[in-house]
Amino acid sequence: MTDPTGKQVEVDPITLSVVRGILETTQREMTLSLEKTARSSVFNLAHDYSTAVFNHRPEMILQGQDIPIHLGSLIPAMKVVAKYFDGEINEGDLFIHNDPAWGGSHAIDTCFYRPVFWQGRLKYWTVCKGHLTDVGGPVPAGYNPNAKEIYAECLRIPPVKIWDRGQPRKDVLNMILTNMRARRDQEGDFNALIGACQVGERALIRMLEKYGEAQVDACIDMLLNMAEKQMRSLISDVPDGSYEGMAILEDAGHGYGDFEIHAKVTITGDNCHIAISSPPQIPYFINSYEGNSHSGVYLGLMMFAQLPPPYNEGLYRCVSVDFGPKGTICNAQEPAPHMNCTTTPMETLTDAVRLAFEKAVPSKVSASWGHANGLNIAGWDKRHDEEYVTMVLATIISGAGATPSQDGWHACGPECCFGALTSGDVELLEYSYPIIIHRYSLMEDSGGAGKFRGGSGTAWEVEPLNNDMTFITFGEGRRIPAVGAAGAGSTIIDTKVGRLELVKDGVETTIRENIIEVIRPGDRITNKNPGGGGYGDPMLRAVESVVTDVKNGLVSIRGAKEDYGVIISDPDTLSVDRGATEALRATRRAQAAK
Amino acid sequence: MKSQYRLGIDAGGTFTDFVLADRSGQVRLFKALSTPQDPTLAIKNGLAIIAEELGVPADQIIPNCDLCINGTTVGLNALIQHKGAKTGLICTAGHEDSLEIRLGHKEDGYRYDPEYPPATMLVPRYLRRGVSERVLSAGEVRVPLNEADIRAACEIFRAEGINTVAISFVWSVLHPDHERRAGEIVREMMPGVILTLGSELYPQVREYTRTSTAVVNAYLAPIMKRYVEAVDGYFRSLGAKQPVRYYQSNGGLAVGQVMTDRSVYAINSGPASAPVAGQYVCAPFGRKDVITVDMGGTSFDITLTKDGSTNINKNIDFLRYRIGVPMIQVETLGAGGGSVGWIDEMGLMQMGPQSAGSSPGPACYGQGGTEPTVSDANLVLGYLNPEGLVGGRLPLDAEKAAAAVKTRLADPLNMSLERAAYGMFTIVNANMVNGIRRVTVERGYDPRDFVLVGAGGATAAHITALADAIGIDTIVLPKLASGLCAFGQIISDVKYNYMATSPLRLDATGAPAKIDALFGQIEAQGLEHLRSDGFDQTTSRVKRSLDMRYVGQVHECTVEIDTFVVDDTSIARIKDAFHRRHEQLYTYAEPHSVVEVVNIESTVYGLVDKPARMTIAAGKGADSAVKSHRDAVFRADGSRVQTPIYDGAKLGAGDRITGPAVIEEITTTIVIEPGWTASLDQSGSYLITKGPDHQRNGAK
Repeated sequence: MTDPTGKQVEVDPITLSVVRGILETTQREMTLSLEKTARSSVFNLAHDYSTAVFNHRPEMILQGQDIPIHLGSLIPAMKVVAKYFDGEINEGDLFIHNDPAWGGSHAIDTCFYRPVFWQGRLKYWTVCKGHLTDVGGPVPAGYNPNAKEIYAECLRIPPVKIWDRGQPRKDVLNMILTNMRARRDQEGDFNALIGACQVGERALIRMLEKYGEAQVDACIDMLLNMAEKQMRSLISDVPDGSYEGMAILEDAGHGYGDFEIHAKVTITGDNCHIAISSPPQIPYFINSYEGNSHSGVYLGLMMFAQLPPPYNEGLYRCVSVDFGPKGTICNAQEPAPHMNCTTTPMETLTDAVRLAFEKAVPSKVSASWGHANGLNIAGWDKRHDEEYVTMVLATIISGAGATPSQDGWHACGPECCFGALTSGDVELLEYSYPIIIHRYSLMEDSGGAGKFRGGSGTAWEVEPLNNDMTFITFGEGRRIPAVGAAGAGSTIIDTKVGRLELVKDGVETTIRENIIEVIRPGDRITNKNPGGGGYGDPMLRAVESVVTDVKNGLVSIRGAKEDYGVIISDPDTLSVDRGATEALRATRRAQAAK
Repeated sequence: MKSQYRLGIDAGGTFTDFVLADRSGQVRLFKALSTPQDPTLAIKNGLAIIAEELGVPADQIIPNCDLCINGTTVGLNALIQHKGAKTGLICTAGHEDSLEIRLGHKEDGYRYDPEYPPATMLVPRYLRRGVSERVLSAGEVRVPLNEADIRAACEIFRAEGINTVAISFVWSVLHPDHERRAGEIVREMMPGVILTLGSELYPQVREYTRTSTAVVNAYLAPIMKRYVEAVDGYFRSLGAKQPVRYYQSNGGLAVGQVMTDRSVYAINSGPASAPVAGQYVCAPFGRKDVITVDMGGTSFDITLTKDGSTNINKNIDFLRYRIGVPMIQVETLGAGGGSVGWIDEMGLMQMGPQSAGSSPGPACYGQGGTEPTVSDANLVLGYLNPEGLVGGRLPLDAEKAAAAVKTRLADPLNMSLERAAYGMFTIVNANMVNGIRRVTVERGYDPRDFVLVGAGGATAAHITALADAIGIDTIVLPKLASGLCAFGQIISDVKYNYMATSPLRLDATGAPAKIDALFGQIEAQGLEHLRSDGFDQTTSRVKRSLDMRYVGQVHECTVEIDTFVVDDTSIARIKDAFHRRHEQLYTYAEPHSVVEVVNIESTVYGLVDKPARMTIAAGKGADSAVKSHRDAVFRADGSRVQTPIYDGAKLGAGDRITGPAVIEEITTTIVIEPGWTASLDQSGSYLITKGPDHQRNGAK
């Protein structure tokens, strides 16, 4: 390692451990500050935010575990912002940005960038990004299934300087906030995001003061190199060759039919190249710009790498990604609408990558998790005479995929969040919004069948309390169940996939598309979220495990037979006809072998 | 203190500590091995040891105790090992799964780990029975209680042999009648059942927290009941004058019946007395802002008190179970004398969190351990006495310690034995410092404003290094450090938490009157409870707090307020207190935003008189207490310095020692690094301060 004057700097291995700990603690402090002060339940309860630290180059030197949707997506965005203001970055500045055409993920994720100066020089960037509850545009909460162009979705914010040498540009901030619904909440969340950037800044400066610039720089470079080495060693364990994965993105109501997304993973020594191919972009909100597609690919990579946090950019040095030609679903360009992209098509893109890795390293696979199929709600709260708008996180919590060693977690998804979400307490939700939650539960036969079963999805049943309520559905996973691994598969499909069940004026309808609809008190909607994929042949699942699932209402007696070949002869005692079970399982295995 | 003695018994993972205070201020510390299989056995063994040392049989000591106090890990162990009772849950239909959905979250840090298992369900799904009933968010009944559903649930529970049941309904906090009626039916259907009602145990908003708290309580209650009956009976047979008091995780004492009814309060009582003890030992120095750290064999516990009051946690995950009731905030890390040093996948040295435990223990224990631990490093560095600890009763093997550090760390990292050992010491200290930041900086406190108090056997070797790294310049290290938590228990008061809820905006009409009425109501209950425990007006105290937030925020912060009539004028004091707390925590306040209250709480204290303070006779100068010298390491380069070793038993009040130095007490070893000065105070604690000529050469 050398310092800026070219002098050799010896990295003290003990200081290296200590610096790594300080970086982690810094990120924790930023995260905690954000979480405790935020208004938006989306990044507050959902943990739908990221905090990261970049060096001056700017390379990401630390990202906490946070949420996979943001994995790596800050990397291209940071570079775009730094490049745009190259030569005009001063101490005390603060930048804001949300636009996908400028390196962002989806525009409701609004990001603040704080350059950190030390002795007059730019040393670091502290960066915080969070999913706001609204970002302007024609439809509350930003998800507009009717948008044909990005211009019909929301307020687009390219890189903008909102503090200039410590002076807030109030006019610009006001212009931005004026375009947003529930301004009080958005303003509070801006405060929270900015506060967290400053918390990070404070901690980094303290680290420089204590350990000295040369030693800290050398340690951080070393940490980047070590992460690179770690990923290279994981990749070099994979046999050289090309591996292909394909996943189907179902038509969620746009009418263009189902699409195939392909991922080709090529391993050469300790390098990994991932090539994506997807169909041309469509005038529907499921196009993914490059920043967001990064996250989709990196999540697929992480499902293979299975590394614990913290992460830095060194991990990705040996990984190159080709997102396919511009103007495709996974490499969208203006004017493609995109708001749904962090779940759809991202989860299908992730599946394609993980399926390619399943072929490369079958022992490290996890089955796919249930995809997001959820809703946003908005309306007028008569109790306080004010507007409300929010994504309902509880509605996207699906089942996790099974792994080679255990059943998938219940209620832990969706895939793009990988357990980072929280649903919010039923009482807090009813207190905050004028709704009655009649049910929030696991669902029978929803986990994908396998030797290890996928986790159960969730059902969320709601009725508006005293006024009309608008709801907007988004996502998919309503026809195609979560993809299993290692030969897993279900016979009963319908209970494994998501849907929306609407009871309006006493009439029941099942909805499998993205729609905007208004309901009133007395009407009900039940959002059902898919279960996770199973792992391994379901005919090999231990009979006792199947019976326990039946006892707990997670598998029906019919499901035991159809999905697992287990014949329960007495529904009261749950006793099993062993002979008939053996025979049925043998037949099913023979059929499968054909 | 009216009687001759007061006895404190604190069960830990390895040892059960016994602290016996007498009227003269003398405090004696005894240790017996813990007996997790039969916790009452350790108590009997310990009393036998005390009887032998004092030459007086236990049935003559116990009747001469004004109070016998027990901190127990019975509940904790049952929860760790999932060995509670088979439990049934009755809940609102449609919400049977909140316990298993766990808000849909997987713990951070395990996101991509394919083997991290879901939390074990304390009540499996088939024993969570939904019943038809529903109350809405304003407290109105939408669906009346269906009693037949309750009876059907009881039939199932009876068939399953269940004897402990939790009942928890959505919004029961605003309308407890459904839970109460359900409870009546369960009692009638299941005579002898132990019943936990969510709205009684934890009357606060958040259905998941309340249900989970009730379930943990129901799960532990039969175990605690059995334990309390055994201990109460044993002490009665020895002629105890007063019922045994048990230590709760809220930092206060309770009688046995409360431990059975509110078993969830028992689960982390061990470290909960540290703040009280920390306050007590700092009082002679006039300091009220105290961080108490307790390093034992496997873990490091941090607690904090500011202006004499202790941080409280509510609504947290404890051992993966959501617990609502207030617990003393204890930050626990896997950093102890047994923490193992290892090299991670990236090639970096790490310490813990895994521990060699007490078996095989650190390599230096010579019981077959080969992993290098913190204790091994401390022995290599010359801090610990190679002849052994506890006055030689626990012999140490310096060669085995050096071999472990050398082969596992020094050789692979290509560094000298001393550098590697000092690296282990530095990294474990850095881990502890990051933990201390979590309870200070992350909660809006500047650690440099605090005194650091050392508790636990292993802390004293690290205490000056820790203080240096955080920037603290004053340390209080009691001679009793290794039994400080047991001591904290015998100087604690009886404490019960009473809670209520009424989510409302402070600017709403009638809000002040409603808050005032709720405080009045729960405080009447609390004071009545204290009266039945034998406390009167002069020995009862009340403290109030409110959980508040800005409208639109999701998380509340807890704000303590004085006891006053809440009305349209005084409500401003409550708002101001909230703005101040928010700014302290998060760097800003929003004085023009509307504030809302979510939960309210009153804590009632029954004041217990305190034993007399210990007094140490004046010393004759520290020089006479030097018993030997060792070459010890205080620098990252691993160089050794000849360091005097003092016999703590020979030091008297006023004796001063300048670092580098090591002071050996019978149950702990204090390392005074260069730049620090220790003086023994007559109250029995070392006051260790950073000298003006301090020139430390730590991490470079």
